[in-house]
Amino acid sequence: MSEPIVQLSNVTKRIGNRTIIDHLTLDLHPGEVYGFLGPNGSGKTTTIRMMVGLMKLTEGEITIKGHSITDSFEKAIRQVGAIVENPEMYKYLSGYKNLVHYARMVPGITRQRIDEVVKLVGLQGRIHDKVKTYSLGMRQRLGVAQAIMHKPSLLILDEPTNGLDPVGIRELRDYLRHLAKSEGITVFVSSHLLSEMELMCDRVAIIQHGKLIDERVISQDGPAKDAVSRYRFEVDRPSEALELLAQHSAVVTQEGIELDTDRETAAWINAQLVSAGLKVYGFRPHVKSLEEQFLEVTGGETVG
Amino acid sequence: MGNFMELVRNENMKIYSRLRTWIMMGIMLVIMLAASIVVLLLDEGVKSMWTVLNSEVFSGTMLVTIFTVIIAADSVAGEFSSGTIKLLLIRPWSRSKILLSKYISVIQFAIFFLAVLFVWTYIWNGLFFGFSSGSLQELTNESSTGSVWSFVLSGLGLQFISMMLTTVTISFLLSTVFRSGGLSIGLSLFLMFMSDTIAGLMSLIDKPWKDYFWFMQSNLTQYLSNGPDVTHEHTIYFSLGILLVYYVVFLAITWWQFMRRDITS
Repeated sequence: MSEPIVQLSNVTKRIGNRTIIDHLTLDLHPGEVYGFLGPNGSGKTTTIRMMVGLMKLTEGEITIKGHSITDSFEKAIRQVGAIVENPEMYKYLSGYKNLVHYARMVPGITRQRIDEVVKLVGLQGRIHDKVKTYSLGMRQRLGVAQAIMHKPSLLILDEPTNGLDPVGIRELRDYLRHLAKSEGITVFVSSHLLSEMELMCDRVAIIQHGKLIDERVISQDGPAKDAVSRYRFEVDRPSEALELLAQHSAVVTQEGIELDTDRETAAWINAQLVSAGLKVYGFRPHVKSLEEQFLEVTGGETVG
Repeated sequence: MGNFMELVRNENMKIYSRLRTWIMMGIMLVIMLAASIVVLLLDEGVKSMWTVLNSEVFSGTMLVTIFTVIIAADSVAGEFSSGTIKLLLIRPWSRSKILLSKYISVIQFAIFFLAVLFVWTYIWNGLFFGFSSGSLQELTNESSTGSVWSFVLSGLGLQFISMMLTTVTISFLLSTVFRSGGLSIGLSLFLMFMSDTIAGLMSLIDKPWKDYFWFMQSNLTQYLSNGPDVTHEHTIYFSLGILLVYYVVFLAITWWQFMRRDITS
């Protein structure tokens, strides 16, 4: 695996005697889309604020491309583009002037580059209108534009799909994956839309009460062929099926029976059941969605 | 790294893109013009353009102080209330430089408005009462000699220094500490208007330490009249020194607060 581009090590944030973030350690690699999941108040936004230097760390260290966000803030933040919570812009300025404003703060952003990102986020038609006339979706796009304008190596997006319509969400998702795969930008997204994260991310971390409770790889091409998963067989006489499959430790459920097996064996079991005269209405692997996994690890706490 | 003046340009863009700023300018211009017209119509004993100009510039400076306080208060607090502070501070610039760019743009705003004030009143009063070089007696009723220009401009300069050192910087301080524009505008203007009253009350105290309060020293224009029969309790350097000490303390608190704060808005 390549050298991590972002490292959070033992990051801790205490306010008073409340521990908001508790020894959080994460590594982000170049070109991956990393999801950051957690229930409300679990510390997602606080973590992001610490990563961009808006909040100080009580303990631990955050480095971006080897530069500490605390000790060499300017070098570290140069690598970062971000939207923290809502994309708040100067409402009395046009979208274009907002971009000029941020462009002036980083050397080397040309007018052409600004026009390029405006086109990229599809705001050409309205870019010279005042931001106060923009819809939430358009503000979100402008937010993305200011975040990618200076070609950062790390893009941090807090709830980026908020306020976008389904088409916008799809476009954003495709665009983020494109940025990560073809330009090698690391994308760090927090979201409460679990299904979204599943489609967008390579890895997800789940935090709760400021602690990392799980981190897993999401496969974008579905489970591997020989992977064992939970198969559900819908049959007319479950108890008979159970007897037949005694050696497979199957259990009876409402619909039929369930057991752990791989793809090939599942097909073989189906043939067995049919030849024994049972009616098989259907069988399918049951892949746990991220949402189910999430509820499982967070103990069913509501996600918002 | 980048060019610091670009930050100041950004702050100026934010100030002058707002309609509010030009409404302030309009109010100032209309009031000054109206004052000259009233004098032209009602007072037939005007000696020269300079008497009208001098009093207009004096009261106009108060108006500019109020406007500058509003700009200073909004400069930092406005970024917090709109949430734009988050996107502003995640750029490759230290917080202290971003705050400095804001402070500089506030000073530039005050200088710009005072310059417009002077030019505007000069033009209209010249047109109404005749352009003249004037003499100092008309303004001071003393037998002092010297240039009217330097008298009026040093008055303007001293008022500017006094307002920057106290009222405007206090507004900037309160804006940073409380992140509330309304509170800092209200409180700093209250201090400005009360300073004469407070100074009057304090002068009743017969203790030497009373001279170390900024209220006692904020009126720098008193030092302009320096005829043989005028005596001052202190020198202008003493007053300036006291104000500077306060100024440094105000700025230190402002910067310290801005640098250490966690941004949670």
